[in-house]
Amino acid sequence: MGGVISLKSLSKRYGDRLAVDDLSLEVRPGTVTGFLGPNGAGKSTTMRLVLGLDRPTSGTALVGGVPYARLRDPLRTVGALLDARAAHPGRSGRAHLTALARSNGIARRRVDEVLETVGMAGAARRRAGALSLGMSQRLGIAAALLGDPEVLMFDEPVNGLDPDGVRWVRGLMRSLAAEGRTVFVSSHLMSEMQLTADHLVVIGKGRLIMDAPLADVLAGSSLTAVLVRTPHAGDLAERLRAAGIAVRRLGENELEATGAPIERIGDLAHEAGIRLHGLRTREASLEQAYQELTSGSVEYGAGV
Amino acid sequence: MRTLRQTIGSEWAKLWSVRSTWWCLACASALMVLTAVTLGGATATEALRDGGTGVRVVASEPVVSATTFVQFALVALAMLTITSEYASGGIRVTLQATPRRGILLAAKALVVAPVMVAAGVLTGAVATAAVYALLSLDVFGGLVVAPAGQVVPDLLGVGVFFALVSVLTLGVGTAVRSAAGTLTVVFMLLLGLPLMLLMTGSQAAVAAALRMPAFAGLAFMGSTDNVTAGPMPYSAGEGLVWLLAWTATAVVAGHAVLRRRDA
Repeated sequence: MGGVISLKSLSKRYGDRLAVDDLSLEVRPGTVTGFLGPNGAGKSTTMRLVLGLDRPTSGTALVGGVPYARLRDPLRTVGALLDARAAHPGRSGRAHLTALARSNGIARRRVDEVLETVGMAGAARRRAGALSLGMSQRLGIAAALLGDPEVLMFDEPVNGLDPDGVRWVRGLMRSLAAEGRTVFVSSHLMSEMQLTADHLVVIGKGRLIMDAPLADVLAGSSLTAVLVRTPHAGDLAERLRAAGIAVRRLGENELEATGAPIERIGDLAHEAGIRLHGLRTREASLEQAYQELTSGSVEYGAGV
Repeated sequence: MRTLRQTIGSEWAKLWSVRSTWWCLACASALMVLTAVTLGGATATEALRDGGTGVRVVASEPVVSATTFVQFALVALAMLTITSEYASGGIRVTLQATPRRGILLAAKALVVAPVMVAAGVLTGAVATAAVYALLSLDVFGGLVVAPAGQVVPDLLGVGVFFALVSVLTLGVGTAVRSAAGTLTVVFMLLLGLPLMLLMTGSQAAVAAALRMPAFAGLAFMGSTDNVTAGPMPYSAGEGLVWLLAWTATAVVAGHAVLRRRDA
């Protein structure tokens, strides 16, 4: 059970709004699990429920098989960054971390270590209120790493970071997962998630929409297509349609087939004796796949 | 027990790592000396004008009276230990580190209380010395005395009073969460409501006012100098009981809210 975050029928109601609706899932160690969903989908609420900050209306959230509040020295098991600005603006980053370390019996040298890790050793004495959003983000990540925990949760960790910072966070997530830790990270930056996550959990309106490996999500998108170049485009199109595959003619010699793997397209062409000059997969971007998945569950639509 | 000890260490570190703590303590010290000296001077002048010879002013008496004003600087300090957490969102980090909320509140109280006892005794001692120095001037004809048998209990009383009012404030702040709301509630409890009750003049209202925290505190500290210009209708021990009851109520309320409400 070590390091697994497991939600069972987790629900949270605020007034008459159901922020999290019967959510069940497991977040496993050794991978980066991306947590996606439109604004207001319930991502932050879910994380707060895991951390015992909010009480579930029903269901349970367990970390390593126990409720968060029952963990002894919880920062040694779970490190979380929810809100980078959640530090007393008048306290230095170093003092902030020192107080946290003392609360969980963490050695004082860890404070300097994590400050070094996040690259803010030079700004450690600056007051938290005087830090840029990017620096606050680093301080928040330092706090999450403080207890050397096996489970890490980050809510929008790259907000406010410059491109170098974004790349650094990506590397950090990957290396934390490679060390066998559970990394659960929410983001609305699809391009970033596509580079960082191995596994995706997508929710909308508090409900689970998808819980699958990144590769499967991309492959499942209708925008993932097989592009075929052939001098007999018309014939092949007919054959494919007869096999129940959607085909679109892109040009004189080019077809786009969706809903079938590349091997099947190649085999069908071979059976029909049709010569191919090109056969390749065009993967949907996560952005596109995500749009398809969540188009029905955007909390605050732009109103076309 | 280990968790409580660690949390106390953490809260202690938090208390001393923000400037507002030092500001509040500096304000309390300055206010204590100024108010005590002013009240002491007034008492002595009055005694001389009334032509009383053989009148004695105990140097720590004006210090006890001064607590009515000084307490607000310390109320601000106690309040900030919790309301600043809600204002900055830091409470969510704090509760991640210490998810057992009762332990967190206990740790905050156990840090605030001794600091306030120390603040009361130290600022009180300085103020007592200042009053003694002023009233030792020839114009006052040496009417000031400072018997250890009264000064020491007075100063300890001031410390305990500040500690209890501060823990009361912590309880209210935990229940209310915002600084403005906390200040309003605490001010009404300490001064607003009892003064309003006194003004009604009704016997029941006056009796109730005198049992609210600030007057209970004055009774506990053995002050004879109060708004009613008469002796307290009950003993110092009973004053302590009332004060403890108010403090306990505030802490229980704060604990109930802290446990039930989402952070």
